[in-house]
Amino acid sequence: MMSTPVILLKEGTDTSQGVPQLVSNINACQVVAEAVRTTLGPRGMDKLVVDNRGKATISNDGATILKLLDVVHPAAKTLVDIARSQDAEVGDGTTSVTLLAAEFLKQLKPYVEEGLHPQTIIRAFRIATQLAVKKIKEIAVTIKKDDKQEQRRLLEKCAATALNSKLIAGQKDFFSKMVVDAVMMLDDLLPLKMIGVKKVQGGALEESQLVAGVAFKKTFSYAGFEMQPKRYMNPKIALLNIELELKAEKDNAEVRVNSMEDYQAIVDAEWNILYDKLEKIHKSGAKVVLSKLPIGDVATQYFAYRNLFCAARVVEENLKRTMMACGGSIQTSVGSLTDDVLGQCELFEEVQVGGERYNFFKGCPKAKTCTIILRGGAEQFMEETDRSLHDAIMIVRRAIKNDSIVAGGGAIEMELSKYLRDYSRTIPGKQQLLIGAYAKALEIIPRQLCDNAGFDATNILNKLRAKHAQGGMWYGVDVNNEDIADNFQACVWEPSIVRINALTAASEAACLILSVDETIKNPRSSVDGPPAAAGRGRGRGRPAHAH
Amino acid sequence: MALHVPKAPGFAQMLKDGAKHYSGLEEAVFRNIQACKELAQTTRTAYGPNGMNKMVINHLEKLFVTNDAATILRELEVQHPAAKMIVMASHMQEQEVGDGTNFVLVFAGALLELAEELLRMGLSVSEVIEGYEMACKKALEILPDCVCSSAKNLHDLEEATAMIRSAVMSKQYGNEDFLANLIAQACVSIFPESGSFNVDNVRVCKILGCGLNSSTMLHGMVFKKEAEGDVTSVKDAKIAVFSCPFDCTVTETKGTVLIKNADELMNFSKGEEDLMEAQVKAIADSGASVVVTGGKVADMALHYANKYKLMVVRLNSKWDLRRLCKTVGATALPRLTSPTPEEMGRCDSVYLSEVGDTQVVVFKHDKEDGAISTLVIRGSTDNLMDDIERAIDDGVNTFKVLVRDARLCPGAGATEIELAKHITSYGESCPGLEQYAIKKYAEAFEALPRALAENSGVKGNELISKLYATHHEGNKNSGFDIEGEGPAVRDMMEAGILDPYLVKYWGIKLATNAAITVLRVDQIIMAKPAGGPKAPQGKKDWDEDE
Repeated sequence: MMSTPVILLKEGTDTSQGVPQLVSNINACQVVAEAVRTTLGPRGMDKLVVDNRGKATISNDGATILKLLDVVHPAAKTLVDIARSQDAEVGDGTTSVTLLAAEFLKQLKPYVEEGLHPQTIIRAFRIATQLAVKKIKEIAVTIKKDDKQEQRRLLEKCAATALNSKLIAGQKDFFSKMVVDAVMMLDDLLPLKMIGVKKVQGGALEESQLVAGVAFKKTFSYAGFEMQPKRYMNPKIALLNIELELKAEKDNAEVRVNSMEDYQAIVDAEWNILYDKLEKIHKSGAKVVLSKLPIGDVATQYFAYRNLFCAARVVEENLKRTMMACGGSIQTSVGSLTDDVLGQCELFEEVQVGGERYNFFKGCPKAKTCTIILRGGAEQFMEETDRSLHDAIMIVRRAIKNDSIVAGGGAIEMELSKYLRDYSRTIPGKQQLLIGAYAKALEIIPRQLCDNAGFDATNILNKLRAKHAQGGMWYGVDVNNEDIADNFQACVWEPSIVRINALTAASEAACLILSVDETIKNPRSSVDGPPAAAGRGRGRGRPAHAH
Repeated sequence: MALHVPKAPGFAQMLKDGAKHYSGLEEAVFRNIQACKELAQTTRTAYGPNGMNKMVINHLEKLFVTNDAATILRELEVQHPAAKMIVMASHMQEQEVGDGTNFVLVFAGALLELAEELLRMGLSVSEVIEGYEMACKKALEILPDCVCSSAKNLHDLEEATAMIRSAVMSKQYGNEDFLANLIAQACVSIFPESGSFNVDNVRVCKILGCGLNSSTMLHGMVFKKEAEGDVTSVKDAKIAVFSCPFDCTVTETKGTVLIKNADELMNFSKGEEDLMEAQVKAIADSGASVVVTGGKVADMALHYANKYKLMVVRLNSKWDLRRLCKTVGATALPRLTSPTPEEMGRCDSVYLSEVGDTQVVVFKHDKEDGAISTLVIRGSTDNLMDDIERAIDDGVNTFKVLVRDARLCPGAGATEIELAKHITSYGESCPGLEQYAIKKYAEAFEALPRALAENSGVKGNELISKLYATHHEGNKNSGFDIEGEGPAVRDMMEAGILDPYLVKYWGIKLATNAAITVLRVDQIIMAKPAGGPKAPQGKKDWDEDE
């Protein structure tokens, strides 16, 4: 009989399964980790990534690099996902998490190849993770919140540790102070949005400044703007969402007139409406007028004559932050410009920063917001500085919210590794080997720190193992002296939540990749078909809960 | 005139060019069986707690990592007509009970595989079918005897947790205790005394970051949205729900505003503002402190909402709006009018919160009297969270099934072996040729414990012989001990691994039906797929949900 193959699935569907599939998934993850491996630690190198539009990005941040890499391999995408998750949850440690996940898989590869059932491995890993997290919680040092001085010192250390591995490590003292100052200004919720970061090209990094209040770039303005005063003491601020220009009152309104006089009256009325608005604003006593919508030249000149300052097309985010800083509320109508909807600050001024003009609102009564103005040379450099500061800010926020810390520089990993290795020796069966593998994988962090700094990793790791065995639980890599040091004394500190999240995410990802033994790839649906049809067809087949 | 090309004689002669035609045992039946077997092979390795995940990339390039058979099949786009029948059977199972989809596939696959042997032995198709039908009837008769316990009080958290545990176990082995507890909390809290349970009332909200163990459950709802206005937290809130946009009403009929003189123009916008203010004020005066709208929020309306200290939340999905109404006990108003006290819902607290770096609006009840509960799932990757969502789905469905029928059968292959034992002896008492088919039917049940064992790296034959031995000793609850070393057996009553009776009942019934339908086919005729552009998709009606 002629045996034609049975076509089960659509033509072009690609399936692959079994252990080789698993191993190939693991290999793919190794490749991804390889890309970010060298960025870890203070001596890590930066990457220059050029995207398909030719935009160059220089970064040291694992999540940023992975995002730009545009990974398509389904298994390797998982690593990108966990880097994103780490970024979302704690903001820093994205390289560590990718490295850890890849190292877990690397350590497990021989076991998979030998035919150990992946589910057994997964179980062991889950146990190991739980143990490790418990251990971190046990040994973490709690910040004393009552002593403000103490807390501040500690937060600065955490910020400094985060900045240590970044491009701006040289200025870490300067920036860690700035970051902690910035975060301390926020209210209890510590909303990230309330810290604005503005970049102005030119000048030196040290010229960057923190403004206790709001600052934003001068907006587009019409003729007459230069006649307006640029400095006020104790001004009242009107925040508007109104277009101050001659305009149609309603889109679909129609005017029908019978006589010439009526026509003139209508024209006058339009002007009157505008002047009426302007007059109300002027009468309210506001000195500074900010609006989300355009302010035309009639209005600009009107304000100039009356010594008011106006800025139009202010971005919503800036306007909101001004509101948070100065009080008041954003008005959509000029009908009720009473005192309580106007904001206030001690000093408003327009200042030249580098080549840009900036509007500063200082001495705000409710100052729950602040702005960092970054100065620096190249555009890419400032962008990387921005990302680094973001990481540091996130770390400080986490440290305030979860008040416990551990020593960085590989110290906590070595301690966990030792703890798990000791634990594994107390249990019989396959689990022993697997938890041992987990313990070994943790050593990748100090090892990579050494490799990146050009040290002899084996030598340093041996020293570390010895120290930890003797009970020196905070000993980690000392990058400055090519040796080991008590990193707790050396003030290399990290919030414990960063490590806990990194471990959980890495092991979840490793387990997910291990648990896959088959990949089925459907051919991509043709592009010319109406996209709505595809979505609809799928929608119909899905059960009700998918809605 | 074109030269006449003679066509092959026979049936094909009557068909159009390009049509495919298969008939007879060799060409049709065996090929169909082959296809179904292959399909079952794919999902078989995903069966049970130790089953492996599959990575499925669908035609839209979305990645799924799952061991949920229903999901795998949905995204696979099975094309073979016979294999599609089994897929349909598994869909039926999902709709009927929501769990045990893989059971159907594996069992139907085994039935067909064994049918092939029978057919090669020389039995006719109808004899096999008759035998299978008799055996199926018998199996369903015996099944009630296998019931080993039943849920007494589903309002009891601990008991519910124990029931849900084994369903979750097969999806998220290792996390089952944590998840089962969460799911049970969610189910029990919304399970009314009257006894009707709606699966839709347990919501899942997935937020990237942290780990699974940080997932939580709360009474009320969570939306991944930001509050529109300045008010971000309200305690003891009265909620007005509007299905329309929070804006002044616009006429549907196209019209223009006719302005006759200057005064009218001057007063026009003033009038509009006053009207809006009056409307918002009326809502605020009625006592409402939170406004939920299904449409967009106008700047002007928001301005007055801020003025009157109303919190504004915008929900885009009609479903979400409907569920929220249910949660807070509100009536959705189609127009922007001030709600009466009955039309307003209430909720202990409504607030904006940050989970990970995602902003969420939480509607929370302090007491367990809400109609809807939400599980906030945390996880490090989207795929993982999707898979956990499916596990939760199965768990909630199990609870629903138990509400309908509280009987439980032992899991982990115990029920299957018990059935196989009885059906074998039943088969031996039958005189006709169908005896062979009945015996094979019994053998097909072995496929399930075998799949469990093989997925755990244990030899299937060893386990099955052990299971038979213990069952003959009268130990009818003993099944495969997944935590033991090698082919260990254990009493499933003690281990607490129980499956709902209905899952088994429907699973057996649907799988047998599907297998019989596939066997009954002896001819396949496939017309040539029509070329040309695709038929136009009907436009969505305005009131159809997405």
